[in-house]
Amino acid sequence: MVPQKETHPPESAEVRENMSSAEMVVVGEKISIGKGTCFLCHTMGSHGSRAPDLAGIGGRAAERIEGYSDIDYLAESLFEPGAYIVEGYNPIMTPAHKAPISLTQPEVLAVIAYLQSLGGSPTVTMKTNLKYSADPSATATPAPTLVVSNDEASASYDNLSGDELFNKYACMACHSLTDPVQLLGPSLYDVGDRLSRAEILESIIDPDAVVTEGFVKGVMSATLQGAGFDEDITPQQLRTLVEFLSQKKGS
Amino acid sequence: MILSGHHKSSIIKFVISFGVFLAGTTVIFAQSQSGGADVDYREFPFFGSRIAIWAVGELHLMYAAFVLAVPMFALLIEFIGYKTGDKRYDKLAHELTSLLSVSFSFTATLGAILTFMLMILYPRFTSYLISIFDKTFWPYGLLFFAEAGFLYSYYYGWGKFSPRVHLLLGLGLNIVGTAIMFIANAWLAFMTSPSGIDEAGNLVSTWDAVNNYIWMPINIHRVIANICFGGAIAAAYAGFKFLGAKTKEEKAHYDWMGYVGNFIAISALLPLPFAGYWLGSEIYAFRAQMGMVLMGGAFSWLFIIQAVLIGMLFLGANYYLWLGMERIEGAEKYKKFVKYLLATITVCFVVWATPHSLVATVEEARKMGGAHHPVLGILGVMSAKNTAVNIMILTTYISFLLYRRGNKVATVSWAPLGHSAQFLIFAITIIFVIAIGVIGYFVEATVRIGLSVPQVISVLFAMTSVTIIDIFLFRNARIVGQIKWGEIPARAQYMLFFLAVTFTWLMGLMGYVRSGLRLHWHVYEVMKDTSVDAYTPTLGFASTVVSCIVIIFFVFIMFNFWLTGLLHKKDWEPNT
Repeated sequence: MVPQKETHPPESAEVRENMSSAEMVVVGEKISIGKGTCFLCHTMGSHGSRAPDLAGIGGRAAERIEGYSDIDYLAESLFEPGAYIVEGYNPIMTPAHKAPISLTQPEVLAVIAYLQSLGGSPTVTMKTNLKYSADPSATATPAPTLVVSNDEASASYDNLSGDELFNKYACMACHSLTDPVQLLGPSLYDVGDRLSRAEILESIIDPDAVVTEGFVKGVMSATLQGAGFDEDITPQQLRTLVEFLSQKKGS
Repeated sequence: MILSGHHKSSIIKFVISFGVFLAGTTVIFAQSQSGGADVDYREFPFFGSRIAIWAVGELHLMYAAFVLAVPMFALLIEFIGYKTGDKRYDKLAHELTSLLSVSFSFTATLGAILTFMLMILYPRFTSYLISIFDKTFWPYGLLFFAEAGFLYSYYYGWGKFSPRVHLLLGLGLNIVGTAIMFIANAWLAFMTSPSGIDEAGNLVSTWDAVNNYIWMPINIHRVIANICFGGAIAAAYAGFKFLGAKTKEEKAHYDWMGYVGNFIAISALLPLPFAGYWLGSEIYAFRAQMGMVLMGGAFSWLFIIQAVLIGMLFLGANYYLWLGMERIEGAEKYKKFVKYLLATITVCFVVWATPHSLVATVEEARKMGGAHHPVLGILGVMSAKNTAVNIMILTTYISFLLYRRGNKVATVSWAPLGHSAQFLIFAITIIFVIAIGVIGYFVEATVRIGLSVPQVISVLFAMTSVTIIDIFLFRNARIVGQIKWGEIPARAQYMLFFLAVTFTWLMGLMGYVRSGLRLHWHVYEVMKDTSVDAYTPTLGFASTVVSCIVIIFFVFIMFNFWLTGLLHKKDWEPNT
């Protein structure tokens, strides 16, 4: 008799900006069990052979490192798990904000609330500023652009037209669609004549691959990173946007 | 130059295969240049894309394993024949090589189909992989061309060149074949442990992408596993021919061929778990979470199935050897040891196949005090399993040793000392392996993981040192009886079929684990699988798919063998 179970990709828990501490604990627990995959290695109430037992961590966290509050310690454990290793264990954990776990900042806050609740009282709120950030624009380590976001909010924009997406992602701030005039970036009014669909796609997902003469390399990629474009855009939206731009023939 | 019909058909087969390969490569490049990334996925009718790719990919791998492995031991056998002057070896090597001709075409065709399916069904992923590995495709194509040249000149040049030139052709075939496999391994290893890219997934260094974390462990594991698999398939072929043999000479020849094939398979099987440990530890070192998924998560039960299958392989291989000893005059004196060997392997098999957590009802779990059985749970951990598999390997080696000396008596002056030294080495090694296993229960996980290394090294040392002693011990040995080739029970041949099927099944299941442990990632941590198949199926479903693939493979390979057999049939003549 062998267990028969399908393993599905972890689902994102709904994280709201105005959650109470109690709500954060509930959501944090859900993330820890699901998307966070914490209990693949950690245990709860028994000696962990792979990673430390999390029971009571809320009470212990403030005493782990001198000068660190419990929130500081838990945040460091999630963002830089190799910085402090509990005696008897190996540094096997990957940063929770990076792939394959890829927790967002609000999700990290919810997980910290849950961990604080294990033997302590949650003091973290959705407005707490941590020393670390999961936001790619706030760190030097952006999330891989090829990781396609499953975020429901982004997916809800899948029905927008190319024109609407162009506005949503503020492309018009740097590119003109109607005239052959250069703004911060080259005009796109005839981009469909100049570039194939594949080249347009490449210009969006890897803007530094080929840079139009007279423009500075790195500006667009930095702008997109800062706006969280890579996190938000979905394959469907990319298709729509590429199709829309490929129709721009200069007339 | 006038070519025979057979030569012409082989050349046509090669041209078609190479044409298909070139066409596939060209279309891929065209696809990558002209909007191949517009569509993420396309659906394969009826079966779905995942099963379609799974089946074709696995069949391609099975064929490739066979086509790469057979030249390795064919060359070795030919070399033995060249050095000893025994024509039987040369004939055997030639017959083994004859199995390659059709198989090579099937391998290439399946590879081309796989390539087409990847770019049609998974265009975004394929485009990405091309963007990383485009530089490797050109040497791959050239090496493929060179392999065809070496293979056909090696096969059709049999007896046409001087032995040294012919051996050099075989060496070239093996070097080129291995290089092809190493390149292809880089692609799939990258999917599991990507490197040589920046955080956005863009290529930084092709060499670093090739030389990723698990590339070399996969290479080594596959070389050994291919030899194992190729030997088993060749042995099954011999078994098949043995059962249909009409004359004593034929039976003797195919009995011997089956023995050699099985010897090769089991010789490669013995070090295979060690290569597997290395691969597993590198996966764990790359991402511990992946190691957890592999051994303690979704796939842990597949390792129980693997343990059952490998245990059956060891039992089957030993049984074949014990049956083989019946045709050796003088081996009767070793029969009394068989029951002890069988008992040891059975106990080790049971320990190795014991799961750590039992599937139990709530009531049963309450009675046990948890998911772990109070007694059996102790055996379901790595300390016990590593100990069991090491002793199983040593026991199988002892069976080989007894078989090898069945009709011989050592005549060297230091024979008693040699026997004692061998016995001492075995005894010390077994005690050491068990002691390390017991210690594993009393140390932290960090220490326990490292304990498998001294166990492995001690077993390898024992096998190597005992073999060296044995070679000198039985030099100029007195032969007390003959090996009556052909006088082996038919059930031994069925055992060869059993071993070949089990090897193939195991290969399919482990291939699934290796690929599946990426879970919902095409390229781990870089490119998510967002298709409808982005989930890990149940073990029952996966093993059913693998079983179907194994059946298809054997239907194909039997068809290949039948085609090969046509070479020796009489020409058709009209009944006039």
